[in-house]
Amino acid sequence: MKGHGRIIEYALSTLARRKFKNFSVAAVFSVLIAVLSSILFLMHAYKTETLKLLDNSPEIILQNMSGGRHELIPTEYIGTLSGIAGVGQITPRYWGYYYDSLTSANYTLMAFDETMRDVKPIDGRMPAADGECAVGRGVADLRQVGIKDDIFLTLGTEQNVNLKIVGTFTANSAILTNDLVVLTKADLIKFFNMPADKATDITIEVNNPAEVSMVARKIRRTFPDSRPILKNELLRTYDNIFNWRGGIVLIMFFGAIAAFMIFVWDKATGINAEERQEIGILKAIGWETSDVLQLKFWEGVVVSLSSFLTGLILAYMHVFYFHAQFLAPVLKGWSVLFPKFEPMPYIDIYQIFVLFFLTVVPYVAACVVPSWKAAISDPDSVMR
Amino acid sequence: MDAVIRTEGVSKVFNAGLAGEIRAVSGVSIEILRGQITVLKGPSGSGKTTLLGLIGCMSRPTEGKIFVEGKDVAKLPERFLTTVRRKTFGFIFQHFNLIRGLTVRENVMLPLYPTEIDGKQMERRMEEILEKLELTAKRGVNVGKLSGGQQQRVAIARAMINEPAVILADEPTAHLDTKLSEDFLNIVTALNMDGKTIVIATHDPLIYDKPYIDHVIEMRDGAVREAARL
Ligand SMILES: Nc1ncnc2c1ncn2[C@@H]1O[C@H](COP(=O)(O)OP(=O)(O)OP(=O)(O)O)[C@@H](O)[C@H]1O
Ligand SMILES: [Mg+2]
Repeated sequence: MKGHGRIIEYALSTLARRKFKNFSVAAVFSVLIAVLSSILFLMHAYKTETLKLLDNSPEIILQNMSGGRHELIPTEYIGTLSGIAGVGQITPRYWGYYYDSLTSANYTLMAFDETMRDVKPIDGRMPAADGECAVGRGVADLRQVGIKDDIFLTLGTEQNVNLKIVGTFTANSAILTNDLVVLTKADLIKFFNMPADKATDITIEVNNPAEVSMVARKIRRTFPDSRPILKNELLRTYDNIFNWRGGIVLIMFFGAIAAFMIFVWDKATGINAEERQEIGILKAIGWETSDVLQLKFWEGVVVSLSSFLTGLILAYMHVFYFHAQFLAPVLKGWSVLFPKFEPMPYIDIYQIFVLFFLTVVPYVAACVVPSWKAAISDPDSVMR
Repeated sequence: MDAVIRTEGVSKVFNAGLAGEIRAVSGVSIEILRGQITVLKGPSGSGKTTLLGLIGCMSRPTEGKIFVEGKDVAKLPERFLTTVRRKTFGFIFQHFNLIRGLTVRENVMLPLYPTEIDGKQMERRMEEILEKLELTAKRGVNVGKLSGGQQQRVAIARAMINEPAVILADEPTAHLDTKLSEDFLNIVTALNMDGKTIVIATHDPLIYDKPYIDHVIEMRDGAVREAARL
């Protein structure tokens, strides 16, 4: 090993000599990064999940409204709807919520249909006959059941159904499938006691995306009681919720301030007489100013980079393995939006870069700059 | 004999223009001859350390010229000054200036870290020097755990690692008893035999009365009083 390599080695040994100070700085730094990136990871995961969910959703969902409430929709609408110009595939959907008192959790019960083409079982298959069902990972875990097991759902003495699990599944999206129980249409209608001529809602594909709002207007004119929910509108709404540009600036700002405080604290206890003396000695025995600054640079890089990575790993584990437990109380609002949400690991590299430039870079600068003065002054001060 | 170092009317003024202005060195013109042992002697505050720092390129003079190996270094930019310092001089500081918390071998090799010299050669040089100074057994010991005499030998080893032509020592016996002072002088004369030029700043009579001292420069109030060639 030569020149630069030995300076890096020496930087490590210097850090080791000031173990306590450097370790405490690194600990604070890591925690800071862990908190900030937990927030970033979580928000990004929510956002990605939501957008994915919407991506899979049809152009228009038609609900029936009565007195401002969501009502079952007559399937006879379908004939009229298919007569509207520009309308593509129309699918009635049958679904409902089910509160499972056994596990104190909400499941979504859904009849198997065409709109579920994106849901692929990881194990087994989708239900093909009455009495069969496929369940999401969350349900399987909660109930501690798997393929070939029975699952019994009840709404009271009259309405029960006993289903054999033929498949468990996951999809690209955790939100979509976690709490889902897919059963046949006949079973679902029987279980929820739905009238034969009604569906929960109707999905409508539109051949030309530019015509969506025109189609929606026609539908509203034809069925004044109905409410078409447009995917575009949903996207816009969610984009507002996740208006993370605003939020992120705030978070980053907080991060920058906190990072700033760490190194100010570090530097305040910082380049003391001993360190200045050491720089003088190095220069006196033949180190150049640039060598000394390199040393300080590497000291800063080692501390900040290792803290940064530690923080990232902590955040990753916290959010994606431990389901953001520590942040959950802070983000109560989100947990209402996504009950039992287990975020999938989506990471926005851009955010990581921003965090890096707001923490690691200033820290390294703060290591090098105060040493500058000591490094450029004549070393004769060490002679007395 | 040629002069490794020659000064012409060198002065060093501290706090120039301020109330506490001090002319630590004033109009000094001296020659340090190659292969000789030169002693800068004089009472406390006479400017020995300051002059030693000037000829060792640790700082630049306020006035005058300093020639190192025939080249005027007084106005060299600091980067070149460092190069001259590293290539030509080895320092033994009054307070040793070892880096606490490092071992003997780390302290000794420290001057070579930023250089392009390869690790094996560096180790070999270090081992050789430690051997000469009877420090081999202390190689891995933290310098803070050494006695004063041992610490000084580490400082000497560090001054030698660059294989400099000139070794500068400031009050080398100030913290040593008579026996250790004699040991130091033995080391110095051995180095001198190997061809090193030695400059020692001291007010210790034990040193400047020695017969093998080639040259004594006596200082008073920053100026040279008398340059006795023995
Ligand atoms: N950096 C400085 N700033 C101000 N004054 C200084 C500085 N360095 C040295 N001096 C002054 O310059 C004068 C010469 O100091 P120097 O250390 O060179 O003397 P010395 O002969 O080595 O003394 P000693 O025998 O005590 O080591 C002293 O008066 C000292 O106070
Ligand atoms: Mg002195």
